[in-house]
Amino acid sequence: MKIYISGYTLTTLLLVLFTVVAALLLESVAGSVALDIFAFPMNLILMLLWLTLLVELYRDRAKSVVARYLLSTQATIFSLVALAVGTIVMGLQTEPATTSYLFLALIFFALSQLTMVIFRGWRDKSGVRWLFTASHLGLWLALVAGFWGAPDCKVMRVAVSEEPTNRAIYINGMVTSLDYNIALESFKIDYFDNGTPSLYQADVNIDGKSVVLAVNHPYSPAFGEDIYLTSFEQEGQSVVAILQIVRQPWKWVMFSGILLLIVGAVLMFLRGPRR
Amino acid sequence: MITGWNIFPYFALVAALVGVGAAVFSAKSKSHSVVAQLLAYLSTAVVGLFIVLLWVELERPPLRTMGETRLWYSFFLFAAGAFTYARWHYRWILSFSTLLATVFMVINVVKPEIHDSSLMPALQSVWFIPHVSIYMFSYALLGCATLLSIYSLFCRQSVEEAVDKLLYGGIAFLTVGMLTGALWAKEAWGEYWSWDAKESWAAATWLLYLLVIHLRRFGKGYGRGMCLLIVIAFLALQMCWYGVNYLPSAAESVHTYNR
Repeated sequence: MKIYISGYTLTTLLLVLFTVVAALLLESVAGSVALDIFAFPMNLILMLLWLTLLVELYRDRAKSVVARYLLSTQATIFSLVALAVGTIVMGLQTEPATTSYLFLALIFFALSQLTMVIFRGWRDKSGVRWLFTASHLGLWLALVAGFWGAPDCKVMRVAVSEEPTNRAIYINGMVTSLDYNIALESFKIDYFDNGTPSLYQADVNIDGKSVVLAVNHPYSPAFGEDIYLTSFEQEGQSVVAILQIVRQPWKWVMFSGILLLIVGAVLMFLRGPRR
Repeated sequence: MITGWNIFPYFALVAALVGVGAAVFSAKSKSHSVVAQLLAYLSTAVVGLFIVLLWVELERPPLRTMGETRLWYSFFLFAAGAFTYARWHYRWILSFSTLLATVFMVINVVKPEIHDSSLMPALQSVWFIPHVSIYMFSYALLGCATLLSIYSLFCRQSVEEAVDKLLYGGIAFLTVGMLTGALWAKEAWGEYWSWDAKESWAAATWLLYLLVIHLRRFGKGYGRGMCLLIVIAFLALQMCWYGVNYLPSAAESVHTYNR
């Protein structure tokens, strides 16, 4: 038994070494991950392959060393420690390294391991384990949406004046055209008595429909798509409103993950620690 | 005019004295002391009353500046201490919570960071109050858990049941605080999570606390290592709460409202 456990610890150490070296090598050769090649449908195909592989691994857990490792407590501890260290490093950097190979490899490992643990743990002899399932499945959905959904997330900026426009610019500078036209009807700024702004509001017209946009009040023209008022520019007498359009098809996957996690947290608070 | 932060020292003094009274009565009594319990609630109420007065005067929830969140922190520390005492009758908990709450009140008396009543548009959201106050409550619970861990590090006394309960409560609230933040971020900026410096430290804090409860589930007791881990997790929490403001990585942060 003792050899068995230290074997897992050894595996963990080797895994750390391998991951770090491989990621650093890849990074020095190829720079950061180009997310675009993983956009839909590539991400969905890869995700289904990954899930199939994990299901097979789980079925074969009696024989498979990999499966047993992924289900071990050492693997859980490794995931948590590695991600904690990774996020601390991220917190110290000026530019978040979300597309670094090392960070993505860590998330991928943690996500795979989490999937296996969910397969095993969602029910036991007494039935469904609600707290376990809500918190782990919630985290799983949120991570899946963040990891596999990242390549599909598109952020655009539109400068809107009185003239209707459908010209949007991606963060990387590429120009695209929207399915709809936006025009600015009016722009309003209110102030407190002490002179600081209390309200920014843009009344815009989207294909004939009047919409009010303000900070904290986006508008959703289509599934997974939201329009935000982010800034404005004064050009003489007229104002140009800068809108941000976020297309995130996985928005509701993330949302349901967050809701489940909240349910898990509430259950955790109500039940308290098990003795 | 004597309002707002000008009258805070008096409230702080009264709350601290009542808190010390509660701590003394609870420490002296072998069983649950009703007097200590009432005094503990009273100290919470005194800070609560000041928050209400400040809120009315500012015409906005006092949740924006560091000074204001420290105020809530003292409030929730008194409250957490009082409730923990009511529920589990730990004799020393009121001394801890009073001490920590008083430290934060003293910081506010010395350095109140008085701000005007304007609430910038970015903070005008239904998520504002739940996000910050849930976080403050969880910080208070986790602060108590940390003090108990330090106590057990030096005094070698078993504090397992109390630390477990405080940690579970604290982590539950920490999770909800973080997730209300994510939901708000989607509504305000378009992304649930953008690995902003503050978000990264929030994730690190959360992961460290997850590590603690997983180690507990795997059967690890409160030895030296575990107590140290709890202290480290709480240090990460301090980084997340105010430490990031002093980091170069936060220069671009969207989370700094009080500069």
